[in-house]
Amino acid sequence: MANKPFNRRDFLKNTGISAAAFPFLGNLEALALPGNNQKKQRMVIFFSPNGVIPDSFWPNEEGENFNFKEILSPLDPFKKQTLVLNGVCDKVRGDGDNHMRGIGCLLTGIELLPGNVQGGSHTPAGWANGLSIDQEIKQYLQKSESTRTRFGSLELGVLVPDRADTWTRMSYSAANKPVTPIDDPYQLFSKLYGKTKDKEILGSVLDPVIADLKKVSSLVGKEDRKILEEHAGFVREMEKEIRAMKGATVHAMLKLEPGIREENDNLPKISRMQLDLLHNSLMADFNRVATFQFTNSVGGARMKWLGVDEGHHQLSHEPDTNKVAVEKLVKINKWFCEEIAYFAKKLQETPEPNGSGSMLDNTLLVWTNELGKGNSHTLDNIPFVMVGGNLGWKTGRSLKFPRIAHNRLLMAMAHGFGHKVSSFGNPDYCKDGPLVLS
Amino acid sequence: MKLDTKTDICHMFDFSLRIIASFLLLPGFVFSAPDGKKIYQTKCVSCHGPNGMGVKGKYNKQLFGDLTPNQLSKIIEETMPKEDPGSLSPEDAFAVSVYIHDLFYSSIARERNRPARVELSRLTVRQYRNSLMDLVGSFRGGSNNAAEKNKGVRGDYYKSRNFNKADLVESRVDAGIDFDFKEESPIPGKMEPGEFTIRWAGAIFAPETGYYEFAIHSSHAVRLWVNDNNTPLVDAWVKSGNETEYKGSIYLVSGRSYSVRLEFTKAKQGVNDNKKPKVVQPSFVKLLWKKPGGSLEICPGEYFSTAATPELFISTTVFPPDDGSLGWERGATVSKEWDQATTEGALEAAKYVSGKLSEFSKSKDGESQRGEKVEDFLVKFAGRAFRRKLSSSETDHVKSVLKASSDIQDGALRILVWVLKSPHFLYRNEGQGGALASQLSFTLWDSMPDQQLLDAEASGKLKTPEFLGTEIERMLSDSRAREKIRGFFHEILLLNQAHELNKDSSRFPGFDSKLESDLRISLDMSIDEIFWDKKSDFKRLFNEQGFYMNDRVARFYQQKNPPKVGFEKYNLDMGQRAGVVTHPYMLSMLSYSAESSPIHRGVFVARSLLGVNLKPPPEAAAPFAASLHPSLTTRERVVLQTKGGDCMTCHGTINSLGFTLEKFDAVGRLREKDNSKVVDSTGWYVARDGKKIILENAVGLGLFLADSPDAQRAFTEHMFHHLLKQPTRAYGSETLGKLTMYFRENSLNMRKLAAEITRLACTASLSGNPQEASKQP
Repeated sequence: MANKPFNRRDFLKNTGISAAAFPFLGNLEALALPGNNQKKQRMVIFFSPNGVIPDSFWPNEEGENFNFKEILSPLDPFKKQTLVLNGVCDKVRGDGDNHMRGIGCLLTGIELLPGNVQGGSHTPAGWANGLSIDQEIKQYLQKSESTRTRFGSLELGVLVPDRADTWTRMSYSAANKPVTPIDDPYQLFSKLYGKTKDKEILGSVLDPVIADLKKVSSLVGKEDRKILEEHAGFVREMEKEIRAMKGATVHAMLKLEPGIREENDNLPKISRMQLDLLHNSLMADFNRVATFQFTNSVGGARMKWLGVDEGHHQLSHEPDTNKVAVEKLVKINKWFCEEIAYFAKKLQETPEPNGSGSMLDNTLLVWTNELGKGNSHTLDNIPFVMVGGNLGWKTGRSLKFPRIAHNRLLMAMAHGFGHKVSSFGNPDYCKDGPLVLS
Repeated sequence: MKLDTKTDICHMFDFSLRIIASFLLLPGFVFSAPDGKKIYQTKCVSCHGPNGMGVKGKYNKQLFGDLTPNQLSKIIEETMPKEDPGSLSPEDAFAVSVYIHDLFYSSIARERNRPARVELSRLTVRQYRNSLMDLVGSFRGGSNNAAEKNKGVRGDYYKSRNFNKADLVESRVDAGIDFDFKEESPIPGKMEPGEFTIRWAGAIFAPETGYYEFAIHSSHAVRLWVNDNNTPLVDAWVKSGNETEYKGSIYLVSGRSYSVRLEFTKAKQGVNDNKKPKVVQPSFVKLLWKKPGGSLEICPGEYFSTAATPELFISTTVFPPDDGSLGWERGATVSKEWDQATTEGALEAAKYVSGKLSEFSKSKDGESQRGEKVEDFLVKFAGRAFRRKLSSSETDHVKSVLKASSDIQDGALRILVWVLKSPHFLYRNEGQGGALASQLSFTLWDSMPDQQLLDAEASGKLKTPEFLGTEIERMLSDSRAREKIRGFFHEILLLNQAHELNKDSSRFPGFDSKLESDLRISLDMSIDEIFWDKKSDFKRLFNEQGFYMNDRVARFYQQKNPPKVGFEKYNLDMGQRAGVVTHPYMLSMLSYSAESSPIHRGVFVARSLLGVNLKPPPEAAAPFAASLHPSLTTRERVVLQTKGGDCMTCHGTINSLGFTLEKFDAVGRLREKDNSKVVDSTGWYVARDGKKIILENAVGLGLFLADSPDAQRAFTEHMFHHLLKQPTRAYGSETLGKLTMYFRENSLNMRKLAAEITRLACTASLSGNPQEASKQP
C-alpha cells in the first residue's frame, strides 16, 4: 500500500552490486544502506484504545518537577526523556461517532468522509479524508537519499481484528487509503527477512539438485547431455552467488518462537514478538517511522493475565463510581505503558549503530489513545506521552495546554523532522502554527 | 476519404513488418536466370557430390563455411571448375554460390539438414505454469471441466443488510453483472429499494495469460474475490466518499476458470440503524475487467459460469519466452534467466504450499500424526511432480530433511524447493518411467499427467491400444485439451501475434476495442464449435456460413434482430463468406486501419493454410499510401507496388490469394466497390502438382482450401508441431505423409487427427525409437 521506497535498479546503481547478485538481493534486506553521518531521527507511534483514567494518568504538577501516577509509573526510569502533554484535544468533527473519529482523525487531523459505517451515535462515515502524520513524515524521509530506507515505515499491530473498517485503521497513506497494519509476527518476519531466508533455503537444495542433474544425465543420450551440463553450470553459478552474499549479511535474524496463534491470551507474547522485530528492523535501518496499534478503537482485549476477565471496551463504559472497574482499567493502561517502557529500555540498551549514544536518543516514542476518557467518550485531553527522540524538544517535563487542537502537535512532529508544513489535516485547526516544545 | 498514414502502419508495426518483410524476394534468389541448380549439377556435382558432401577420389571433404554468397561467388568465379577456372561468368558464379549457400553450405542450411531427432526438452513456460497449477490442484480435488458449461453467474438476493438465509428472497442465474437499479428494488414487492444485499458467485474464464485488472463500478459498498476465497481482490465494503470505481489486479493463466464472488450491499454496516427513516438513493453495480493488453469492458457473460471451482495455484513468476524460431514453442534450450526464473518459481510455489500445509497434508498443527501426514504429503507431492514413483533414496531424502528441521513448515519448504528445482520436474522424457503418461498429458494438455494416467501407466494398462484409445478420448474431453486446441488455432490464425486493431474512426465509427473484444469471442466460439462438433469437420473451417454475434457485433455488421442477451449465430451475407477465413475479426486483423491488405491476407493463406514457404525479403517495405494514388483501388496499388519481376516470384502467389478476399473491407464488411470501382476478387493458386486453379472470390477460395491436399498437409503438420513440439521428421520421414493420409481417410476429422498424432507419439515412446513409430500398424 505504501509507496515503494525506490526501485532495485536505483539500489544496484547506488551500491555498485552486480546484476548477477540481484535475484537473491530482492528487497535489499541483507545490506545496510549507504551510510550517512547525519544524526538519525526516528518515530514510533503507539496506540491503545478506550481512553484512560485521568486521575491515575495525568501528573498533578506542571514543568520539570513532576511525578508519574500509577499508569505512567513504568516510565520512571525514563522520566528525564519523557514529555507528558495534557490539554491537547482532537477537535475534528463531522461524520462518524467519537470512537471512529477518535482513531480515524487521531493521526490525520482531518474529517472522515461520508460513508456506510454506522457507529453507536452520530452519522455514518467512511475513511479519513487525508493521510496520517506517520505517512507524511515517511514520505518526506523517503524523498531524500540520505534519509531513505528500505521500507520507510512499518505499520504494525497486535491482535487487530480481521476486518477493515473505520475502527480498525489508524494510518492512512492518502485520503481514503487506509494502511492495513501487520499484526502477525510471522508475516512481519517474512517481510523483513524473507529474502535472506530464501537464500538459506536455496543453499540447502543445491546438492540434491546437482545430484539429480547428474542422474538424469546418465539416463539420456550424449546429444541431450549438453543441455543438462549447461543447466548444471547455472546451478553452480547460483551457488557461488549465494556464497558471496553470505558475507554481506549485516545482522543476525531474530529467531521467532514458532506456532504462536493470534488469540487473546497470546497478546503479551505477540506484543513482545512484534516489538522485538520492530527493534531489529530499526537497528538494521529498514525504516525510520512506525505505528504500533494495540487491538483497535473500541478494542475488547481481555487481559486475564492481569486478573481482568472483562473486555477492555466494556469496562471502559463503567461509571467512575465503579471502583473495581476503575482499578482494572488502571491495570490495563499500566500494562500498555509497560510495553512501551520495555521498548524504550531495549532502545536505550542498544548503542546507535555507527553513531554515538543509544537508539532511544534518536527515537521518539509517542503513546496516544482514541479518547481522553472511556466513559465520557471525550476527544478532549487525548493522552500524548512521548519518550526519547531527537526532534529538538525539551524533555523531562509535564506540560498543560489550554485545550489546543492536536493538529498543532502533528505539525510539530513534521517540523521536528525538518519538514516545515504550514498546516496538517484540517487547516482551520492549524492557525496557531506548530506546538513549540523546545 | 481518410487514408492510411504512416502512423496507421506503425500501429501494426510488429505484425505488418514481419509479414511485409516476407513478400519481397532477394533478387535472383530462386527463379531468375541463370539457374544455379543447373550449373551446379553440370559443372560441380562430379567432384562435390549432390549435397556438397564430396566424392571419394575427387574432392574428399564436405563443403561448408561462413562466407556470404557474394564472397563465395568471387572464389568460385576465380577458381572453379578445377579443370577450367574462370570459365564461369560472374552471373553464373553468383547463381551457383547462392544455390549451394542455401542448400548445404551455410550454417543455417546445415542446421536444417541435420537429421532430426526427438530432443530432451524442459517444460515450456506454458507447460510449467499448467503443471504447477495441476500439481498443487491434484491435492485439492475438483475440476475445471464443468466451468465451460453452465453459463452465467449465480445471484443471491437478500432483503437485509447481510447474508442471513432467512432474508434470501431469490436465487437466480444472471447473464453477467451489469445492473443499474436506479431508485428501485431489484425484485419489487419482495425487497425494499432502500436496503438490500446481493452476492454473485461462480467462475470466470481467462482467455489469455497475464494480468487482469478487475474494476467494480458501484454506487454502494462492494467487495470482490477472484480465485482466492479468503482475501478479497477488491475491498470497498466500507463505502467512503464519492468514489464509484474500485480496482484490483490479478495474474491469471489462460484456459482455466477461476472462482469469482462479488458482494454488494446498499445497507450500512456497524450499528444497525434500521429504525431510522431512509431516503432511497439510486444504486448500480457493474463488474468490468481489462484483459491483458485490452481495454476496460463489462466482463462478458460468455466467460461466466455457475460451476464451483476450487482455488488454483497461479505461478506469476516471469519466464523468458520459449524458443519459437521453428514456428512452435520449444523447450530445447536453457539460459541463466530461465534457471533464475525456475528458482523464483520454485520459491513462490513452495511458499504457497508450505503456507497451507495443514490443508494439503490434511492434518492440524499440533496433532500427534502431524509429522507422518506431512511426510506422506511431501512424498506424494514429489512423486506427482516427477511423474513417477519416488525411488527409495528420494523418499529417504524427504525423511531426513524433515527430521533435520526444527520447524516442520521450514522442512517442508526445503523439500518443496528441491522438488521444483529438480530436473525430474523441469524436464520431460528423462527416461525414468512415467514416460507414456507424460507423453500423453503434455501432448494433449500441455500439463503433467493426472493420477488416473499415472496409475494406468504403473499397472501397465496404458500400453494396451484399447485402453490408450479410451484415455486419449477422456483427455480430449477435458478443458485442458480444449485450451490446447484453442492455442493451436490461435497459432495458425496468427491470433497470438495480433495486437489491438486500430481502425479509422471516421470511416468505421463504432469499431472500437469493445467490438474487437466481442469479435475475438465470436471467433473463438466458431473455432470451438467447429472443432468440438461430432464431425470435427476441417471443411467447415472454410465453408461455415454462421457467425456468432452479440448485440454490438450484430448492429455493426447490420444484422436484423440483434440478440438481447449473449451471442447468437447469424448467417452473415448469405453465401458470400467462407468460414473462419472470412470471419470479420480475421479480415480486420489482416487489414490496415482504413484499407484492406491483400498482401497480409495472401501471406496468411499461403503460409498458414497452404504451408507455402515464403522467403524473407532483403528489406522491409511500407505499402504505397492510398493518398498518393487517389484513383487506384487497393488491388491496383498492390499490383503497382509488386509488379517487379523479383517481387512477383513470391507475390505471384501472395497477391493472387489475397485478392480473392477483396470483397471485404478493412473491418471485414462486404463491399461491392473499392474506391468507386467494382471490386475484382479473382485470384488463383498454382498447387504443388503444378495445376493452376482459378479462384473467383472468397467462396471459391474456401471451396479450394477445403479440398486442397496442400492445405490438409499443412494443417496436419501444424497440429503435429503444436501438440508434440518436435519436428515431424524426428518421427520418421514418412510420418507427415502418413498422417495426412489418415486425415483424408477419416473424413478430415480434426479431432481424430489429434488423437492419431497422440497415439503415434505414444507408440514412439513405447518403442523407444520415434523413427519407427510411423511404421507401426
